[in-house]
Amino acid sequence: MGKTLTLYVSTSPYAYENTLTTARIAESALNKGHAVNLIASADGVYCFLKKQKAKGIINAEEEFSRLIGKGLKVYL
Amino acid sequence: MGHIAMIIRKPPYGDINAAEAVRHALGAASGEWKVSLILVDGGVLLAKKGQDDTGTGFTNLETTLKDCIDMGVGVYADNLSLMEHSVKQDELPAGVQVKNESDIASIVKTADKTMLF
Amino acid sequence: MLVIVRSAPDTIDGKRGIKIARDMAADVVLLQNGVYFMQAEHLDDLGFCGTAYVLSDDRKLRGLGPIGSDRRAKEITYDGLVDLMTESNNVVGMF
Repeated sequence: MGKTLTLYVSTSPYAYENTLTTARIAESALNKGHAVNLIASADGVYCFLKKQKAKGIINAEEEFSRLIGKGLKVYL
Repeated sequence: MGHIAMIIRKPPYGDINAAEAVRHALGAASGEWKVSLILVDGGVLLAKKGQDDTGTGFTNLETTLKDCIDMGVGVYADNLSLMEHSVKQDELPAGVQVKNESDIASIVKTADKTMLF
Repeated sequence: MLVIVRSAPDTIDGKRGIKIARDMAADVVLLQNGVYFMQAEHLDDLGFCGTAYVLSDDRKLRGLGPIGSDRRAKEITYDGLVDLMTESNNVVGMF
């Protein structure tokens, strides 16, 4: 039976590796059938701005949009 | 245009500092600055060979560092920091020069500008 | 109990994470710059004697070699990490 994971991100999308770590954990958990909540606080909310143009690093907007499509629940 | 020294003190990938430093180093080198990239403390880990970025979305910073060397950037790694971080000299890409603290002080002293990352 | 450490061995956060895990007899997950704890004797120096799980992608990204068989360490993927997190009664981190 699936469990619920709640992740918390408070860092801006491109200054730290946390965006990648959070996205990969969320994706793996979703693939395993778990429910995943992501709470974005402080600078973490910038992960969800539209029209981001990232290069050489994962694009937070695209990555989290894709995961929302897979069932990720995001709370700002 | 002058000589700029960039000091990298943090390991790559965990935060953006090392990536920003090599990006600015490339930009300065193409803008005809003489650039010295100085790796100290955790920054020496930027020069560790064998970085595999598969599936991460990151720019491979080992490759970017080699691009810097190809562009004529002087890349200097602090010997004591290498030892502290268990990086052997044969694990460094060709062109990375190992220096002691007084050598590094001399490089910074001769630079017109110094940036810290 | 599981403690996740993302900070390097030469940082206050990294050391604190390992010490807390040691004092709670918890295992640790090393990811991001935390994977450098597998070098040299960092974990032994801090008296940590639990199991250290090392995130494979983050180790490879930094050019670090595979974990030696003599260590109390195991390599994991993100899937393995999620299993550890969901099976653990408490997850603390990331330091």
